[in-house]
Amino acid sequence: MFNKIAVLGLLVLLVSCESREEITRQQYVVEGMNLYQTNCANCHQVDGSGLKDLYPPLAKTDLWQRVKMSELACIMKNGQKNSIRVNGKPFNAYMPANPKLQALDIAELVTYMREKWSPNKTIFSLDSARFALKNCP
Amino acid sequence: MQQKRIQLSKIVFVILVVLGCQQEKKLPFLGPKTIGKQGDTLYHTIPNFKFLNQDSSWISEKDLAGKIYVADFFFTTCPTICPKMKTQLLRIYDKFAEEDRVRILSHTIDPEFDGVQVLKEYAKKLNISSPRWNLVTGKKSDIYRLGEKSYMVTAQEDANEVGGFVHSGAFILVDKNRHIRGIYDGTKDEEVNHLLEDMTLLLKE
Repeated sequence: MFNKIAVLGLLVLLVSCESREEITRQQYVVEGMNLYQTNCANCHQVDGSGLKDLYPPLAKTDLWQRVKMSELACIMKNGQKNSIRVNGKPFNAYMPANPKLQALDIAELVTYMREKWSPNKTIFSLDSARFALKNCP
Repeated sequence: MQQKRIQLSKIVFVILVVLGCQQEKKLPFLGPKTIGKQGDTLYHTIPNFKFLNQDSSWISEKDLAGKIYVADFFFTTCPTICPKMKTQLLRIYDKFAEEDRVRILSHTIDPEFDGVQVLKEYAKKLNISSPRWNLVTGKKSDIYRLGEKSYMVTAQEDANEVGGFVHSGAFILVDKNRHIRGIYDGTKDEEVNHLLEDMTLLLKE
């Protein structure tokens, strides 16, 4: 009997924890969408399709499997000077830095982009973003 | 019965007049006007110019003779509004793909960096080509003067601005006599919708 209650209690705790994380994730997605439209959509377009051979697409790309999220976080913050390969095609227009973006902004942006374009639709936590930015090359 | 018929013909007349007026819709002439020697109105006109395009060819007003064109000011490394403007210009480029009387003229405001080679690369990546779309570079003071005095847009260097330049995202519609007939915000979808309609109208003149 006691055991059953304990198991039930554990289950309830797990479910509520999960949903709390899910709520945070959904908040990140909403905030991330606004940030994306202000900071990224000019070049990468609202739908993530990019601009011809000038700016790489984000939607329907191998970026999400090939590139580490910590690496993407650094590119968003510090820009990109070297050529980057997306879907096997090199893009070499430099991307400007976004010094105004803080760790929380980056966490929200990556979470939003994952939701839209990555098969892995999990949260990119604030801690992960902080850690990534601290260890940028 | 007789009265009714008169009323009906009146209504038809009014409708015809209204329709007639609408068909008369003409784009305005923008910019300062002057009075000529014979007392006629002289509209603001884009003066002669000469710049190098992405194919290292000289482009002057002669290359645009008899054409209507959309002019804008940008630079290739611009991180802010230019990508948006180029997205919108591509709409114009695609819509009038079969129309030889339409041109696009994009002036760089950073000619020191945007040389012919840079413009060539940029055009290649946008998958556009002259003569329908010319990306031009030249003497900085010439470009700025033409932009401010003739096309009535702002363009300045500003170290505080992201990218180092402040400039307007305007598209300027110029008719075949080099008069300005419309100015639009090239970063907004709806404004460019208007521009596309106005271009169709202008082609009928």
